[in-house]
Amino acid sequence: MRLLLLFLFLAVLGPALSEYGLKLLSEALILGLYAMAFNLLFHQAGLLSFGQAAFFGIGAYTMALLVSRAGWPFLLTLPLALLASGLAAVLIGFLSLRLTRIYFTMLTLAFAQLLYAVAHKWYAFTGGDNGITDLRPHGVLGESLPFYYLVLASFALGVGFLALLERSPFGYALRGLRDNRARAEAVGIGGFRHLLLAFVLSGLLSGLAGALQGALQRSVFPEYLFWTRSAEAILATILGGSGVFLGPAVGAAAFLFLRVLVQSQTEYWPFFLGVVLLLTVLFFPKGLAGVGEEVVRRLKGVRGGVPQS
Amino acid sequence: MELGFYLLQLLTGLAYASTLFLLAVGLSLIFGAMGIVNFAHGSFYMLGAYLLYAFAQGQAQGFWQGLLLVGAAGVVIGALVERLFIRPIYRRPEEYQILLTYALLLILEDLVRFAFGAAYRSFPMPPAFANPLFVLGTPFPSYYLFLVGLAALVAFLLWAFLQRTRLGVWVRAATQDREMLEALGVNVPLLYTTVFAGGIALAALGGAALLPLQAATPGMAVDAVIQAFIVVVIGGLGSVWGALLGAVLIGLLQAFGILLLPEMAMVFPFALMALVLLLRPWGLLGRPPAVRT
Repeated sequence: MRLLLLFLFLAVLGPALSEYGLKLLSEALILGLYAMAFNLLFHQAGLLSFGQAAFFGIGAYTMALLVSRAGWPFLLTLPLALLASGLAAVLIGFLSLRLTRIYFTMLTLAFAQLLYAVAHKWYAFTGGDNGITDLRPHGVLGESLPFYYLVLASFALGVGFLALLERSPFGYALRGLRDNRARAEAVGIGGFRHLLLAFVLSGLLSGLAGALQGALQRSVFPEYLFWTRSAEAILATILGGSGVFLGPAVGAAAFLFLRVLVQSQTEYWPFFLGVVLLLTVLFFPKGLAGVGEEVVRRLKGVRGGVPQS
Repeated sequence: MELGFYLLQLLTGLAYASTLFLLAVGLSLIFGAMGIVNFAHGSFYMLGAYLLYAFAQGQAQGFWQGLLLVGAAGVVIGALVERLFIRPIYRRPEEYQILLTYALLLILEDLVRFAFGAAYRSFPMPPAFANPLFVLGTPFPSYYLFLVGLAALVAFLLWAFLQRTRLGVWVRAATQDREMLEALGVNVPLLYTTVFAGGIALAALGGAALLPLQAATPGMAVDAVIQAFIVVVIGGLGSVWGALLGAVLIGLLQAFGILLLPEMAMVFPFALMALVLLLRPWGLLGRPPAVRT
């Protein structure tokens, strides 16, 4: 219900925004969707993937190649982008999920970097580091407001789907596997099968985000597959708070807001991002959501006495 | 001629492997002993290159003093960073460690850009290595031989330290069971500071040693840390000999891969890493993780 109100508010907000505001909010929603997809693996399944950029990039490149090489209309490329990133997630997930903890993290990183290296060098197919440019969608979607509504609809569908998933038996199974895999499997939950499905769903949504981002930027570069892009999902999630459902989306918005604010003042944005990240990790490990909870708790006049987990 | 060419390529690969080893061995020990995934490791490698440039004031004559100063500065910086930033997060989950060290990477990159500018900084060849050595009529850059010698020396000293000294035994024990080590009365926090400072100093030395061959840029940290991760994962997290083996494999793969398939040279290291992870996740020379109950 609260989610529906949020989507409605964002829909009403659209016409009130300037071109620039629309572009920025579209980008925030895309990054939000991407971070929420990452958090399905991270929070629900307890898997730290450092290779989400693989699916983000495959989604973006599928869209870009179909639009620029085959002349497809942008909207028709979205199902294909989902399909391609989903297939890649089946393959990468099947191999990576045989490992756990840091080894899983490293293997996902290796696969994403492998794809980055291929996209970077395969000039004939991907355009190499020149990327694929001039990707403005034809017709009405080339304008900011309709495109914003497309992004909002994708965000709403993706996030709504994730919300249903969290409350479904599948969500409970994932959290069970996260908390104690041996016990969960002992009561008959197929660990590998559930984790692979979560991995694929997360990859699908990341691919959708990538395709939308490529259309928003009107270009796709190998950087879409680079590990710093994977780090962005982790960053937005921790900034917002991984333990709260909408935390990653809030973190994504805060991340972009901060970037615009700092970049208008100085070229040393990474430095500020580093400092904010450092302070978040050291002092606010629950992210903005944690800060929010604290504020609410203070306002209600409850002091201390809450056990820290 | 043919043979000379391949020998030169071999030496080039080994020289690259040498700096990779200096970079990666610290990353491996820090993970092995402390359980910290240090994404900022490449940043200290970059910092080492810039510090050599600053200490020697860009002059070839200042190379040796500069190298010593870089080593000393690495120890001090490593100890400070461990005390200030790493110590509060030992007991946190891995993702917080990754994020914190990623934050350090971002901060250090911009600090260097602020202090030295974004342009490339190159350093002249020290006078001692001005002349090549001739083998089979082929000139070999003598600096390559120096790098290989330096890495071999460091590998030997590390081995002697880990196997023959009490502190070394503690470091190895820390990779096995930290709680037990602490229960036996070893000052584990101090041990951690030592390991981290040593690892950082080696990375800084590696970066400085590469400077006469390759100009420094603020962006080199990101490439370096990814290469180091590949080396360490291939060799086995926590293993000195694994880091050496991984570095040599990657160095040779680069040197000869670029001859065979220049297009694919960038892909090989990641493919090798993925292959090793799939077949032997704990690395070629690493130990399978002990089963904890």
